[in-house]
Amino acid sequence: MHSFLRSVFILAGLCLCVSSHAADALPPLTTADSLGPKVEQPIEFPHNRHAGLRDPADAADPSVPAKGGMEINCMYCHTGARRSNVAAIPPLQKCIGCHRNIESVKETPRIQKLFEYWEAKKPIPWKKVHDLPDFVRFNHERHVKRFVFAQNKPVQEACGYCHGDVKTMTVAQRQKPLSMGWCVTCHEKDHPVSATSSETSHGPNDCWQCHK
Amino acid sequence: MMENNFNRRDFLKVMGWGGAAVTLTGCGFTSVEDGREVVTSYVEPPEYALPGISVYFNSTCAQCDAGCSVSGRVREGRVLKLEGNTASAINRGKMCGLGQAGVQAHYNPDRVREPLLKGKAISWEEALGLIDGKLKAVKGEEVAFLTGGLSGHVKVMFKNYMDTLGGANHFVYEAASPAVVRASNKKAYGVSMPRLHLDKAKVVMSFGADFLGSWVSPVHFSQQYAAFRKGNRPEGRGVLVQIEPKMTLTGANADRWIPANPGSEGVLALGIINALGKAGLSIPADIAGLTRDYGVDRVSKETGVSVEQINKLAGLLKERTPSLVLVGDAAEGYLHGSQNAAAIALLNRVLGNIGKTIDAPANVPFPQVAPTVGSRSAVKALNDKLTSGKVQVLFTYAANPVFSAPSVLKFKDNLQKVPFKVALAHYMDETAVEADLVLPLDSALEDWGTGVPEYLAEGAQLNIQQPLMEKLYSGTRGVGDILLALLKQRRANEYKGYEDFYSYLRHSLVSIKGVLGGSGKDDDIFWAETLSQGLVKLSGNNGSLAAKANAAGLNLPAPAAEDSNYPLRLIPSVTASMRDGRNANQPWLQESPDPLTTIVWDSWVEIHPKTAARLGIVEGDIIEVASRNGAIKAQAYLFPGIHPDAISIPLGYGHEAMGRYAKNVGANAFAILDQAVDKETGELAMNETRVKLSKVGKRIIVTKEEGPAGGMQMGKKIAVRVASDKVNLSEEI
Ligand code: SF4
Repeated sequence: MHSFLRSVFILAGLCLCVSSHAADALPPLTTADSLGPKVEQPIEFPHNRHAGLRDPADAADPSVPAKGGMEINCMYCHTGARRSNVAAIPPLQKCIGCHRNIESVKETPRIQKLFEYWEAKKPIPWKKVHDLPDFVRFNHERHVKRFVFAQNKPVQEACGYCHGDVKTMTVAQRQKPLSMGWCVTCHEKDHPVSATSSETSHGPNDCWQCHK
Repeated sequence: MMENNFNRRDFLKVMGWGGAAVTLTGCGFTSVEDGREVVTSYVEPPEYALPGISVYFNSTCAQCDAGCSVSGRVREGRVLKLEGNTASAINRGKMCGLGQAGVQAHYNPDRVREPLLKGKAISWEEALGLIDGKLKAVKGEEVAFLTGGLSGHVKVMFKNYMDTLGGANHFVYEAASPAVVRASNKKAYGVSMPRLHLDKAKVVMSFGADFLGSWVSPVHFSQQYAAFRKGNRPEGRGVLVQIEPKMTLTGANADRWIPANPGSEGVLALGIINALGKAGLSIPADIAGLTRDYGVDRVSKETGVSVEQINKLAGLLKERTPSLVLVGDAAEGYLHGSQNAAAIALLNRVLGNIGKTIDAPANVPFPQVAPTVGSRSAVKALNDKLTSGKVQVLFTYAANPVFSAPSVLKFKDNLQKVPFKVALAHYMDETAVEADLVLPLDSALEDWGTGVPEYLAEGAQLNIQQPLMEKLYSGTRGVGDILLALLKQRRANEYKGYEDFYSYLRHSLVSIKGVLGGSGKDDDIFWAETLSQGLVKLSGNNGSLAAKANAAGLNLPAPAAEDSNYPLRLIPSVTASMRDGRNANQPWLQESPDPLTTIVWDSWVEIHPKTAARLGIVEGDIIEVASRNGAIKAQAYLFPGIHPDAISIPLGYGHEAMGRYAKNVGANAFAILDQAVDKETGELAMNETRVKLSKVGKRIIVTKEEGPAGGMQMGKKIAVRVASDKVNLSEEI
């Protein structure tokens, strides 16, 4: 029965776009009912510490010390996002590049573990949190180019359409269904083609854009 | 419960009320398996590597001997797909399906991964030490090498090693090779593989050369063929006539497919010359003398081709010149194969094609890397040697004689007379299984090498083979590396400067960079450019043709008498994917439908519908095909594209070893061949085996396109339903 219903949902996704046409606002950052499972990672990477807002968040006053987050741009580590299909997990070298100079946390268990991997020259076996089936070809570059570079959307907002509010998480957890129907809800909508233009267009709806 | 019954009809029902479900559930089917797969990032990324972005490396296809240049797409250090390299005049950026399956040779789960001594894993040091010890105890003449066709620096290494051993016997074997055609070309034109210009011909008349499917350099000829068929070239759209008893891919594309009686191809050629003379073409006196007796009536009777048809063919050839007449497998596979080929070559002389559509090939400036091509007779010669008990050590490489030698030779039994057999192998194929020592080879996508193809499309070129990715298994070695290690055992001083085959190769090419177009360039730059191009064009002059085709010594036999015990002729077919069976363990090749019958994952027996009706055979009947030398069973396939007096079975199937995708799939047609040979060259006459058919009383559903449901594939039902939650996608690779 269970799988039977699942199959229903695949089809349902196809139809959903039709019924939800009216709502034109972008989807909320988190949809509580489509949370993915909690994934245990080899190192509990604190996204909130790296990407989170400063505390107190006051971008206007740079003299406010950064206590909470550091507001690091997502693409500083996920360098593939703007130029490749995959956003890419940063190479270990990148972590070490900064952490070798951050004395204050060097002795914490997580950072010690990080250096253990580095010294052994072993990659960290991160678990995939956002794993699409192999017959789906999702392209980060296209989305980042459109939202961040053409429409001038804040990076965290653009990434958040699919990944949720990562800056509040430690280990990332899937926030969105990432199903075809869910993708289509967005692709059906008209978006401005750039920040300054009043011209709009919507994402491609051809099967082969994703299934090739 | 329900998931087992979820079938297409339910699916359609669901479509009907799917919209309603939406409101209840949102859109539920989520991404797959969060947190199951591991994503491995770089520790220190190479400069050019960006995950998700592919890098291309050029190399050479090793799936057949045509030597197409390939460009391998590599992502995250894994080779994913091969494309053609546009820089090569042979394939100009294109590839064939067989070549595409090359990645499956590399990722094949049945590759041998470590040296095996009688099935037990040993170290390379032990293995090489063992060879050294054995060789020290025997004389050079007692060592034999059986290899496939060789060229490039691997050939040089083989030769150096054999020279070092002193008097070693080298047998170069290709189970499916145009060996008789080569010999006949040599006689008729002075070169064994002239350059052909289908694209300049107005008519191509091919006596069984399947140049679009499996003959010599199919990707190259397909491109010439495309040009030949274009209506807008100055010569107009070309006409293709294919004369062969079993329709090949080329035959299926021809304007006229003519199934002349098997073996009568030469007679037909002489008949056409006679008719050309009658139509007013001037025929050289020696040829006219020979063809005088081949009037259309006699020829029509012997060949089964109507008088009208023969006159039409002559008219076509007379009207449209230049033309090109080809000889292929279907004409050379007889006791009088050489005679057939010689008679057909006369047509090219009479029609004045030599020098127009048949041209001299480029000379390879370095004969030591020029191709050494294999013959079918080599396995017989080796077998004779084995029977005499004179071989003490046998090396095999790129050849699988236990599979492809006719069983009447008893090759497998004779092999037991060799005390020490070494197989350099990718798989535990039939020959490796019999070997005492198996040395596992790197795949073609992991190894270094060079090659010069036999058929050169333009100038001579040296193809580069380079690794597209890291080795999958640390226990395999490149063939060049193995030979280098063996050479070091004997001639340590000469070879000690080369750490590995790579450094040997690099040194060899860099030291002659001047003639390879790199004069004045820095060594590193020259080398990097060479690797990035994937081939080096060799400057050199063209050879010349000698139009020697003449009637001397030509004497075609009378049509073969009928054999009442074995009334049908077996035409073993060399298909585009399976060829001689060396790649049979690549599932894509088993899975891709035969272009003519669309059958997958099995052998079949092509029978003409009339013959089948006479014998009471219907499609799917399991037939026993018995020759004087054995019998095999396969499914019947009724096929109008076969001569009524012949049947055809594809080669390459029916492995008893090699791997999970090849073993026990289909039946081995090599096994039942008679050891009949062409009288002049001694080459196995592939089409001389007579067979009889009998039904074994079983019928199956033939697994083919547009067939009825219920066919089987590798013993399993096709397209079975599996509930989605039973599929573990993270483990489905
Ligand atoms: S013709 Fe031969 S060399 Fe060329 S792509 Fe096909 S298999 Fe490879």
